[in-house]
Amino acid sequence: MGVAVDWFERQGWEPFPFQQKTWKAFLEGRHGLLNAPTGSGKTYALWFPILLHHMQQQPNFRKQHKKGLKALWITPLRALSREIQQSAERITRDLEIPFEVGIRTGDTSNAERARQRKTLPDLLITTPESLQLLLATKGYHQLFRDCYAIVVDEWHELLGSKRGVQMELALSRLKTICPHLRIWGISATIGNLEQARQVLLGPDSEALVNSVLIRAALDKKITVKSIIPETMETFPWRGHLGLHLLEHVIPIIQASKTTLLFTNTRGQCEIWFQKILEKHPELAGDIAMHHGSIDKETRNWVEQAIRNESLRAVVCTSSLDLGVDFAPVETVVQIGGPKGVARFLQRAGRSGHRPGRESVIYFLPTHAMELIEASALQQAVREQAVEDRIPYLGSYDVLVQYLTTLAVSDGFRPEEIYREVSRTFCYQAMSREEWEWLLNFLVMGSQSLATYDEYKKVEVLPDGLFRVTNRGVAMRHRFQIGTIVGDAHMTVKYQKGGYIGTIEEWFISQLKPGDVFTFAGRNLEFIRIREMVAQVRNSSKKTSRVPSWMGGRLTLSSEMSKLLREELYSHALPGGQQSLEIQSLAPLFERQKLESIVPGPDQFLIETFQSREGFHHLFYPFEGRFVHEAMASLLSYRISLLSPITFSLAYNDYGFELLSDREMDIQMILDNDLFSAEYLLDDLQKSLNATEMARRKFRDIAVISGLVFSGYPKKGIKMKHLQSNSQLLFEVFRDYEPDHLLFRQAFRETFEHQLEEGRLRLALERISRQEIVWKACERFTPFSFPIITDRLREKLSSEKLADRIRRMTRILTRGGR
Amino acid sequence: MGIFGHMTHSLDLAGESVEFHPWGGLYWPAQSTLLLSDLHLGKVMHFRKYGAAVPREALLRNFDRLSRICTQFQPRTLCFLGDLFHSHVNREWDLFEKWARETGSRLQLIVGNHDIISPLRYEALGFELFQHLETGPFRLTHHPEKSPGRFNIAGHIHPAVRLGGAGRQTLRLPCFHLRANQLILPAFGAFTGTHALDPEPGDQFFALTGDAVVPLAVEQTGPTP
Repeated sequence: MGVAVDWFERQGWEPFPFQQKTWKAFLEGRHGLLNAPTGSGKTYALWFPILLHHMQQQPNFRKQHKKGLKALWITPLRALSREIQQSAERITRDLEIPFEVGIRTGDTSNAERARQRKTLPDLLITTPESLQLLLATKGYHQLFRDCYAIVVDEWHELLGSKRGVQMELALSRLKTICPHLRIWGISATIGNLEQARQVLLGPDSEALVNSVLIRAALDKKITVKSIIPETMETFPWRGHLGLHLLEHVIPIIQASKTTLLFTNTRGQCEIWFQKILEKHPELAGDIAMHHGSIDKETRNWVEQAIRNESLRAVVCTSSLDLGVDFAPVETVVQIGGPKGVARFLQRAGRSGHRPGRESVIYFLPTHAMELIEASALQQAVREQAVEDRIPYLGSYDVLVQYLTTLAVSDGFRPEEIYREVSRTFCYQAMSREEWEWLLNFLVMGSQSLATYDEYKKVEVLPDGLFRVTNRGVAMRHRFQIGTIVGDAHMTVKYQKGGYIGTIEEWFISQLKPGDVFTFAGRNLEFIRIREMVAQVRNSSKKTSRVPSWMGGRLTLSSEMSKLLREELYSHALPGGQQSLEIQSLAPLFERQKLESIVPGPDQFLIETFQSREGFHHLFYPFEGRFVHEAMASLLSYRISLLSPITFSLAYNDYGFELLSDREMDIQMILDNDLFSAEYLLDDLQKSLNATEMARRKFRDIAVISGLVFSGYPKKGIKMKHLQSNSQLLFEVFRDYEPDHLLFRQAFRETFEHQLEEGRLRLALERISRQEIVWKACERFTPFSFPIITDRLREKLSSEKLADRIRRMTRILTRGGR
Repeated sequence: MGIFGHMTHSLDLAGESVEFHPWGGLYWPAQSTLLLSDLHLGKVMHFRKYGAAVPREALLRNFDRLSRICTQFQPRTLCFLGDLFHSHVNREWDLFEKWARETGSRLQLIVGNHDIISPLRYEALGFELFQHLETGPFRLTHHPEKSPGRFNIAGHIHPAVRLGGAGRQTLRLPCFHLRANQLILPAFGAFTGTHALDPEPGDQFFALTGDAVVPLAVEQTGPTP
């Protein structure tokens, strides 16, 4: 360890206690989870002991070098890999260790991949998907034989996702094939750090017993400053862009050497970048944009420019949330609610990025109600009220994918793999029957044989090995592994060549030739799709079409919802006891009180009114979007049992709406006790059948498990004869195999990850103690406006189809252009 | 559904009286002819052969419906308007052969873009194959055509219509699509998707609800909300 301390001294630094603790624990042969924020020097906390270990084992390391993989570094974002590579190379260079530090991600060239297949670099930086692809390589045992360390960086980002499950499975395999493996995770602060360690190492595992949790405990001061509009009168009641306050951002940018402006979606990022340049052309060349759809070179250039301080400001998305140690950013601006305290803290941490410095983050609300959120955020930062990341349980889709992966490479023996898999967190409750079921599914595509069936995927060889022998199956599977991340993407290129980036396929599919859209900071005219590439040319036309990326909808955590309610309730306090944000909302509250009320802690507000659209019924639990989704689904289902009715449901973080073509009697809802927590589970389950939530979840499950084949996007082969939509598939399963594990999973996931039954129950109990205040209004209120104008809606109906058709008033046309 | 089968919707086409069946078939009583389009048989097995485990039992629905609709109408002639088989021959073809040998109807196929199986195989089953077929006032094709002086009945499109109403309600349903001198049949196949149409003036739609055919009285059109 002296070597490491010396090295630090030569840089003019002093190692932090958490770094030294990590070195020591690693060298003692322990596993662990390191809780350290971005910019704390976490990469050196783990690269050092990995290299020190080698130096100990191999005293003659400078002369004698045996090639091959020694350590893996897993990062969820390939954008971070260069940074991690550089910090490793800095040490290997200075200590004269002849190690090759390589990167293997979706961006790695085919030539480089082929070279790596022969011998992997000594240190390899890669993503969870690329690691799975390595497990799909013939003879992978050999590749990993001498690997003695794996670091899973940004574990908190992976934890609540299926990529985290992919990691659990990969680790379960590596534990067996790498006898001397040390497993380390790095996580930002989340509510369930202990659980995060369990998931990483395996519950009740030897590794867990022999592990440590090290907290960096850097005393970092974070100051949150809200940008408050001067007059509330002209500030919008809804919206998500925040452009009204653009001019307030300019002085912040000018006063600081470097500023990061975090937006919540790539679409918002594009618009902000463009508008700043439009209003302040003098900033051209000083600002740039960074998001996940922009090509790698541009992203690298931007990251480099942040480091050299050659840019004043960068408008970005979560693509810059993680990593990039030691990047000096002076100021951070958050545009719109970050919907999570952990994420907000992490973003704040990007400013004053050197240990010990104060971090300042500006919060820019995009609409009036978000000022309440701004105020609650300050509270949350003070109390460090960070949320949990809920790990997945029983994700059969990922397991099906993983088993196929093993069958593609060297084949697997069920007994051995079952032992490994059943010890992971995700599959700890999997029964022997379910395991057998999955094996049957892989081999027969069913639970029984039929003479006429031609299903082909995994075969059982005479010696009992489960193996894919068909080349087509193997090839399609390898292509499918990367799709766990989400939507199908399409490459955007100029007609004459020239790569611009990638966009979700569904956005392109809405465009007609000649349409102009904004992407990567340019106005582009769509020409045509050729071989899965969208061809475009530059356009000088003005446009308002900006790709809005899916997945932009996040919800408040329960901690944050509670703080939000408390902030709202403070409206009744004397001005001196209120935050600035709440004070500034006084005109809005007055307006709300014209026809309705601003509820207090003992009140549950219901508003109704009629418009051209129909009858609006609004409910305000202030529990966050997911709870509202569940409650709307539950309530509308219960109402639909009383008489045939059809609803359109909408929600935000404050409340939800049931819209119908008929008026509902609120008194009837109250008299029938429809907010009761009794029979909750049963009713909720039935309401799921009536809405489309599970159907949407099934889409991902079908893709991950290989039921739907998405084509070879990069090869430009569409395989149309193998495409089906998951909607159709959902119906087929519902009608023919409703007990199918993958079909059931869609419902379970909706339950566990979206509806959060536990939180719903607590919310219902709270409502049962509140006084219900029902206001029949003439028109919309400041509270209801953002909800009723939301277009992303759920449907629920108990009416006969023929009856519904009869009341339809028009035939819809596409897009309305 | 009783022993008499599903309720059909009767109307006049080019002077001939025909019936629309809720599963998407058209029956022409005067000629005792049943028209079915876009069954895409073999699709389920095709997917399974390529490693996508679509429930095997789903392929039985097509045969079940075929048998039941034939029982209902007892047609002398059964004419398929193309895309009868989705892919190359697979074992679903065996089931189809078995069905074809047992049916009492005369079999006709207007060849569609998916019909790549050798005509000899169809002919061996007693099929008559056509690129198009003129019968009475009708010109039967797979792809919709403009056929001056004739009434075109075609498939290929898998038409669906989207409806909107008060309270932001929307519905999407497979349908028969009728316009001047042309009728497009919905896809009869169970494991096939639909294509939503943009209506033009004069279009008429007959939506399928699964157990009924509902003619749409809606005249007004508007953009999707």
